[in-house]
Amino acid sequence: MDFIPTTDADKQEMLHQIGVKSVDELIQTLKPYLQNKLDLSRPLSELGLVNQLTILSQKNKVLKYFIGAGSYNHYIPAAVAHLILRGEFLTGYTPYQPEMSQGTLQTMYEFQSFICILTGMDVSNGSLYDGSSALAEAALLSSSYKDRKSLFVSKGLNPEYFKVLKTYSEGAGLTISNELNEDTACVIVQNPDFYGNIENLQYLSEQAHNVGALFVVCVIEPTSLAILEPPGNYGADIVVGEGQSFGLPMNFGGPYLGFIAVKNFLLKKIPGRISGMTTDSNGNRGFVLTFQAREQHIRREKAGSNITTNEALMAVASTIYLSLMGKTGLLNVAESSYARAHFLRDKLVSIGLTSLNKNPFYNEFIMQAPFGTSKRILSNLFGNGILGGYDLGDDKILICCTELNRIKDISSFVTIAKETIN
Amino acid sequence: MKLIFEYNESNSIHISTIRDLDDDATNGYEQLEKYTPIGLPDELLRKELSLPNVSEPTVVRHYTNISQLNYGIDIGFYPLGSCTMKYNPRVNEDIARLDGFQNLHPLSDEECCQGSLKLMWELEQKLKAITGMDAFSLQPAAGAQAELLGVMMTKAYFRQISQTQRTKIIIPDSAHGTNPATASMCRFGTITVPSDSRGNLDIDRFRQTLQNDVALVMLTNPNTLGLFEENISEISDLAHKNGTLMYCDGANMNAMLGIAKPADQGFDLVHLNLHKTFSTPHGGGGPGAGTLGVRAFLADYLPLPRVTKNDDRYVFDYAQRKSIGSVRFCYGNFGTLVRAYSYIKSLGNNIGNVSKNAILNANYLLTLLKDDFEVPFDRSCAHEFVLSSERYGDKSALYISKRLMDYGFHPPTIYFPLTVREALMIEPTETEAKETMVRFASALKDIAQELKEKPDFVKGSPHTRHIGRLDEVAAARKPNLRWTPPIHSD
Amino acid sequence: MKLLFHLLASTSENNIFSKSSLVKVMREGEIRFSREHEWLAMKGGGIATMGISDFAQKQLGDIVSVDLPRVGSAYSQMQPLAIIDSVKSSSDIYSAVSGEVVEVNEELLEHPEFINQSPYDLGWIVKIKPSNTQEFEQLMSKEQYIVFIGEIEKKEKESTGMPSDGRS
Repeated sequence: MDFIPTTDADKQEMLHQIGVKSVDELIQTLKPYLQNKLDLSRPLSELGLVNQLTILSQKNKVLKYFIGAGSYNHYIPAAVAHLILRGEFLTGYTPYQPEMSQGTLQTMYEFQSFICILTGMDVSNGSLYDGSSALAEAALLSSSYKDRKSLFVSKGLNPEYFKVLKTYSEGAGLTISNELNEDTACVIVQNPDFYGNIENLQYLSEQAHNVGALFVVCVIEPTSLAILEPPGNYGADIVVGEGQSFGLPMNFGGPYLGFIAVKNFLLKKIPGRISGMTTDSNGNRGFVLTFQAREQHIRREKAGSNITTNEALMAVASTIYLSLMGKTGLLNVAESSYARAHFLRDKLVSIGLTSLNKNPFYNEFIMQAPFGTSKRILSNLFGNGILGGYDLGDDKILICCTELNRIKDISSFVTIAKETIN
Repeated sequence: MKLIFEYNESNSIHISTIRDLDDDATNGYEQLEKYTPIGLPDELLRKELSLPNVSEPTVVRHYTNISQLNYGIDIGFYPLGSCTMKYNPRVNEDIARLDGFQNLHPLSDEECCQGSLKLMWELEQKLKAITGMDAFSLQPAAGAQAELLGVMMTKAYFRQISQTQRTKIIIPDSAHGTNPATASMCRFGTITVPSDSRGNLDIDRFRQTLQNDVALVMLTNPNTLGLFEENISEISDLAHKNGTLMYCDGANMNAMLGIAKPADQGFDLVHLNLHKTFSTPHGGGGPGAGTLGVRAFLADYLPLPRVTKNDDRYVFDYAQRKSIGSVRFCYGNFGTLVRAYSYIKSLGNNIGNVSKNAILNANYLLTLLKDDFEVPFDRSCAHEFVLSSERYGDKSALYISKRLMDYGFHPPTIYFPLTVREALMIEPTETEAKETMVRFASALKDIAQELKEKPDFVKGSPHTRHIGRLDEVAAARKPNLRWTPPIHSD
Repeated sequence: MKLLFHLLASTSENNIFSKSSLVKVMREGEIRFSREHEWLAMKGGGIATMGISDFAQKQLGDIVSVDLPRVGSAYSQMQPLAIIDSVKSSSDIYSAVSGEVVEVNEELLEHPEFINQSPYDLGWIVKIKPSNTQEFEQLMSKEQYIVFIGEIEKKEKESTGMPSDGRS
């Protein structure tokens, strides 16, 4: 199946018009370096393709998930997929021609608005690749704005995110340091942190501003923003994070949705595309990409970031998710996730595990199993179709609950853990 | 069109708090009720959540109506150069949504991921075969991110072999803006080399700039003028003799499938845009995937985990060689990889037809237009070509592109590459029918005529979209970048 | 600043200077021009005010944003010290003379359009303390600059191949 509409007759007419006898003749004149026969596999019809790939997908095992650690299993309303499969959203191009892209541009504007409202910030953009690269961009931005080269990173940052931050920093000549001083460009805190703890953002904000550094908060489970006071209200200068919890499937790690929101004074430094509202000559409201001169296609080597393709369709999906859920729905998600996590935590404490969170937590928490038991607990859970958490080693397990964790499975979890310990 | 924030309705309940999934719990849900409302300290709790409640019928109507303001490949032709706006196969959407692919947590145990790991491994093998490279990373989410990865790996490589004096990257003046922007992000300086009269990289100027402080040459081949670099083997020989590496920006791979391989042209690194050549949807600007292929001597610098095959099992290979780290969380835009894999599987050994037809279409369309527009270079083109509308006056490319909308076409790329005045860069992919190209050429010629006869009318285009020319200056001078809730909204 | 002609509107106006604001500047000191279209006015007290010429602002089109240098930073002659963004382009502004930036026009952050509306007055960009007074002497005078612009426009018309009947 190759989706090429050209018939043989068409081809002959076209070759005649060009003035060559065959396509090969055309390619010969282009002097490619070498002509090679590609040996891939036999072509497939649609039926053949569906057959093979269905079998392949069935080699995966989707379990009942009690794990987060950067990717969260939330319910996605049916209408999201139906809407983003519309050809106008799915197959549209980047909105450089606004008269042909008002759908994309208005949705972007709405996405930017949702992010600002949820994070308590002034300005957002149309998406970055994912939460970890968004954090890296925030670090580069801070360093450029403050003309400083050191990053102070809280120990509660997701280790995968730390890895990405380190990679980008090394490329840009920045260092990650334990010291807070006049060379610190920004203080980076994840909230809730990797272990689920809700941080004291007020205190951390003051620490950052005392040395003249920017305060950067990273939110990887943003359904928490339905119930937690937003980072913007604690003096965050930049909030970045991962939008996957807002209507995107876990998808084995991607495509995800990075977001970044800043206070007004950093508007001109924000990377990526921004949609702005304006009017046409008849006074009709419309939207355009704005402040494009920041971006690579204009600034080239002077651009702050090279980002071009982003996660636009994922931002549309999240916008639709947030619209469908609304204030009521999002509060229900947060409440249900919180309740199930605390229910499970208390049950696990009652069978002999220790709760290690020093702070209050939202939907993710860390438990200490009795000595030498955690691996067997996880293994027995696995045998019953449950992925019980993220193994931190040392008998520590990072567990997460969402509205999708049914009581029956929570009870099974506890029963299996109890049997394993005894 | 209203904003979604301007509705005030009753929310359709998609999720309650308890009892959604728990009807069969024999006990428990009363206990669960103990944990709602949320028992966090008051100072942590949010005081105001200014999100709208909208019913599902309204949400669906809102976004359906908004979507109809967009153009898309499903609607018509996008002649955008170097974007490769080809048809996005629907079967790939279904395949990407199979439960086993879509609902798998990325931190699952290896034995739960065999299907996905096999897909990633096989995709890597196919991309290696297509490009001639020895190893691929599937991690980057876009071409620009692949470039970043490639440049970071180059930096690490030269540090490893104690050649840290290499602080420059050579880039042609026709290059896409991401190339110099990427160089800057990694603190490399840029040396720009012009094209010659045939549209090739000026080899004499190239030779002059090739000093021992040059780490990398970043080329697009075919280049952004739509032309194959005729001296590519000489360029890579010169570079390699100078100890400099060669990077191929693979944005134009649609001209090379089954015809040429970047490895054979002397490239050490190449990125492929899966959302261009390999049919994954553009989605209004993303997501994409920018897989990076490298030669064996650079493979150890790639992000971890790699995916390796042991007999019948597929394994996350975390063996720390010299990996420079990661550019994003986990393995990459897996959903995009599935679509590209599916596309490559369905084409199989016929993949060469894609490029042959792309080149045929481009040369045909060029022939239809070459008498009415300037063709900067007197050569056959690859899968795209550049014209100049200079003879129709200043800003003619802009006016033509806006008027094309009234003819039902999306405009081509304009004012790029920067080296051609009033540039129109046109790429008719292999999924465009001959009849479409004939109509497009005819429209361009009609508009050129209109510019002579009624210039003001053309300058005021588009006339038939639901919105006229938007005030981009006001958008920047008086920025309105978000809706703000009224002060007493709760 | 470098002017990318093929991105920008051309100008066919002969009136290169908005007379009233130029007169104001002239009263305060002598004005000179760089080859990159920056103007520099020396007052007494050894501080020079710098901006871009009326010709330059027309080339840029509507300005939407200005990146200003830090007060106290030092630049050598022709080193980029500011960036001006219009809707579709971004241009470096070069330091017309070597020296230290002593003041920047912060009004431009809220009102970048001042550069378009009043390039010699409200649209001033930085004040510099020059480190080498000879550089100032070597810049073009107003009369020389007018001739310079004339040459640029002439060369532009020749290279575009625009017919002399002015069709555009």
